Amino acid sequence: MAHRSLRLALAASVVAVLGLTAACGSSGPSALGTASAGGSKGADASVWVMSGVTEDVFNNSFASWNKAHADETFTTESFANDAYKQKIKTAIGAKTAPTLIYGWGGGTLQTYIDAGSVADLSDLASDPALKGRFLPSTAKVGVVDGKTYAVPNNGVKPVMIYYNKDVFAKIGAKPPATWDDLMALVPKFLDAGIAPFTVAGQAQWTLLPYLAYLIDRIGGPQVMANIVANKANAWSDPAVAQATRMIQQLVDAGGFVKGFASISTDGGADIALLYSGKAAMSLGLPSTYQTIDTANPEFISQNKLGFAPFPAVKAGTGDPEDLTGNPSNYWSISASGTPAQQKAARDYIKSDLLDASYVDDLLKIGNVPPVAGIEAKINASSAPEYYMTVYNMVKAAPSFQLSLDQALSPAAGQALLTNLQQVFLKQIKPQQFVDSMNATIGK
Amino acid sequence: MLLLPALLFFVVFALVPLVGAVALSLAHWDGVGAVSWAGLGNWRSVLADPVTGNALLLSLRIMVFSWLVQTPVSLMLGVFTAGHQRYRELLAVLYFLPLLLSSAAVAIAFKAILDPNFGVGSAFHLPILIQDWLGDPQLVLYVVVFVIAWQFVPFHTLLYQAGARQIPASLYEASTLDGAGRIQQFRYITLPQLRNTIVTSSTLMVVGSLTYFDVVFVLTGGGPGYATRLLPLDMYLTGFTSNQMGPASVLAVILVVIGLGLAFVLTKFTGFARMTSDQEGA
Amino acid sequence: MAAVSTVPVSVGGVEDARRGTQPRRSWRLRLGAGRKQRPNILGGLGGFAWLVVIIIPIYYVVISSLRSQKGFFANNPLAPPTHPTLENYLLVLHSNFGMYFLNSVIITVSAVVVTVAISLMAAYVIVRGSGRFVRTSFSVFLLGLSIPTHATIIPLYYMIVRVHLYDSLLALVLPSIGFAVPISVLILSNFIRDIPKELFESMRMDGAGDRLLLWNLTVPLAKPALVTVGIYDALHVWNGFLFPLILTQSANKRVLPMALWAFQGEFTVNVPAVLAAVVLSTLPVLAAYIMGRRYLVSGLTAGFGK
Repeated sequence: MAHRSLRLALAASVVAVLGLTAACGSSGPSALGTASAGGSKGADASVWVMSGVTEDVFNNSFASWNKAHADETFTTESFANDAYKQKIKTAIGAKTAPTLIYGWGGGTLQTYIDAGSVADLSDLASDPALKGRFLPSTAKVGVVDGKTYAVPNNGVKPVMIYYNKDVFAKIGAKPPATWDDLMALVPKFLDAGIAPFTVAGQAQWTLLPYLAYLIDRIGGPQVMANIVANKANAWSDPAVAQATRMIQQLVDAGGFVKGFASISTDGGADIALLYSGKAAMSLGLPSTYQTIDTANPEFISQNKLGFAPFPAVKAGTGDPEDLTGNPSNYWSISASGTPAQQKAARDYIKSDLLDASYVDDLLKIGNVPPVAGIEAKINASSAPEYYMTVYNMVKAAPSFQLSLDQALSPAAGQALLTNLQQVFLKQIKPQQFVDSMNATIGK
Repeated sequence: MLLLPALLFFVVFALVPLVGAVALSLAHWDGVGAVSWAGLGNWRSVLADPVTGNALLLSLRIMVFSWLVQTPVSLMLGVFTAGHQRYRELLAVLYFLPLLLSSAAVAIAFKAILDPNFGVGSAFHLPILIQDWLGDPQLVLYVVVFVIAWQFVPFHTLLYQAGARQIPASLYEASTLDGAGRIQQFRYITLPQLRNTIVTSSTLMVVGSLTYFDVVFVLTGGGPGYATRLLPLDMYLTGFTSNQMGPASVLAVILVVIGLGLAFVLTKFTGFARMTSDQEGA
Repeated sequence: MAAVSTVPVSVGGVEDARRGTQPRRSWRLRLGAGRKQRPNILGGLGGFAWLVVIIIPIYYVVISSLRSQKGFFANNPLAPPTHPTLENYLLVLHSNFGMYFLNSVIITVSAVVVTVAISLMAAYVIVRGSGRFVRTSFSVFLLGLSIPTHATIIPLYYMIVRVHLYDSLLALVLPSIGFAVPISVLILSNFIRDIPKELFESMRMDGAGDRLLLWNLTVPLAKPALVTVGIYDALHVWNGFLFPLILTQSANKRVLPMALWAFQGEFTVNVPAVLAAVVLSTLPVLAAYIMGRRYLVSGLTAGFGK
């Protein structure tokens, strides 16, 4: 009868599920490593990496390490960016984090340090095998209060202006060297029916470089350093208000494409405006280059893509060679890992982190590694001019400011994203911005 | 007893964690480090924060607008698809499609469609469709209401369809004999017979739009500015993004209390809880 | 606004109205064959308009999944691609899609079968039973309608880790059942209450116990509601994202919503591939829905006649 078979089905499925999964439960992510098929000996460390283009680079590196070190193997899992950020916090809080923790430095790293969740790597950093391997401006991000807690593991990502050479030629202009040059270009582009800047404003973080660069160019890196150090009323430095004023001037002059606050970063719709000639410039990370390379490679191969540093501000005290962006991504070692797991992680970092084949893999996917002395490899790569520009920018930069939302504490970073978007939308005045941000100091 | 398994599952896997959340509302915790006692400090700061008041107001507007948009549409579609014509069956399947998509899919699709340069506006060359949909603080809330409606009308249509199918045909036949037209039939037969379904659907809709999070978060992130920072978004941004689990748990408790209050009001004051039938003779 | 009647109007009435000579109450009124519906123009237009609104985003999803990333923005977004490609679908299918699919099926079927069964039992008691305990239980379930999963996920995570269920499919099934129960109970009680008391009473007078009343009377009569609830719960578990994210981690425990991750980079998204994954994830549920509709349709159409 119908109901009896229904009940049977119910019972069967419950039993099936229980049977399938009863043996598979475990007591947490870090314990999983010890139950691996390889056996009970060995460290069985774990690592979580980002999915997407870099996944293969990490997988290759750990695979070759595992082959050579059967007693110190790593299990890798990959996660999407936002999913990872949610999961890693939960795991660290429950002391069930993977052995190697992927991070961005800045305020989140500070949170881990304050909670004692990450190990001190200073001895590792001064080890001759590692000393001098990384570019200084990149390695600095992992150093907090003189101690190293994180080491670089990914390409350098400085923000610069990407521009459409054809569009510039159309109005007979050169990339702006100063802010005044930039403001003078705006009406010229508008007259030609071209938006000066394209930006995916819906994502909020894409607006940060404008603020970061302007503050740095006007007041130098010390302004941001004071803010990150949680000095009282650090946002009241005149450079901040000045920067927001200039941003609003650019908005008022029509410097951004119409409807920029609705454009999302998902499919690269903002960059599409650049290579289709509807916008002249985009201020962004090297992912801009990668997006164009995927969506419209002819634009690059026909030499229509130009890149230039952010303009200087006359009468500003900042060095025009200062950078902002993501210096790299970083490995930290979880303090709740077993001694064997931590040792495996240290050994890996000492020998395989950003070694020769790792560097090659990164260059192949278009990330420029933060390693010293790889000029020859860059020249032999698929886009030597561009990669060399990026590499030299980072090598020469006196200061490389980490993206502001990452540099600040999570609470302040979130507040900054919201408030900055309001600045761009002309919803709040510079002084309101300063006051709101001052209220987040120390949170 | 027959009631126990459901009660057990619910209590263990939903209520107990909720108690945990209530406990967290009285603590200082950044999600990573140690937990420390905060007493009512979080409650004081959250209730005094203007962002909270804004979130409550926004959630209220979403609830009202969602109900005003979704109920009439679902009701009419439900009654429409309750008919037995062949083409209505096909329509019912098509109408149901939006509910099948995951929130991530819906958000990605709409972000692309609403793009000012490459979206539906430029596709149809209709300037009126090219607006700053997601960037204009005035427009974005209506966009959110629309997207939520787009996704959830199918579900409520299903409820109304099931309800409409239950209405005895004899009622309509009798009224036709008395000379009733379509509109009169709708007003005097369909609507009253659907009263319980309306309460069910409205309760689920109102409480649902209170907790609605996934699509809105991916679509707007709470922005522009604070324009769509609804209560559940405020909770998420405070807890998971800003590492303030204590205040986030306060917002969660507020959310549950309001939801429960609404559900109570809707079911007690409409006699829903008396568990009597609308059907004649029952 | 014109409404749609669920019952056809007699042909006789229409003809009489046209002739204008005979009263509506025509002896030509007949039940059975020969009934025709007066065309409902406004209803038809409204239905069509809503169809357009529904279809455009779905059409966009399908069309875009057939484009490649190269030249994605080159043409009108709603125009069919000039060089449609299945490369995205192949990419998705080769990224462990089969395993994700299997896991999703396992947890969805388990969760839905259990949820519907226990919710039906609970709804039956709530509607037909009496007493303080029953009424309080209903209020408790009402409370469950508004519990946001994000608020409770961390305590839930600690619980799951503590009982050694972390990274198992069971960790996905059990909380899903817990969270699905309130809404299922609500919908089912709404439906069951409309089953005439007399039917229950007459069976009880014949000596039937609760079990028989439940299986022999309630289940067949409540089929439309059971299918509705089953579909709704299945969708939630199938598309559910938070529980799999926080409560599992191994690649072999992953479910379909995670199939999108492979195409979401740090700053950009491989939109066509993501949409292909979306289409592939949706097709099985669509198939299940179309099959399940038979039970919805076969529900009672003439009311629970006396």
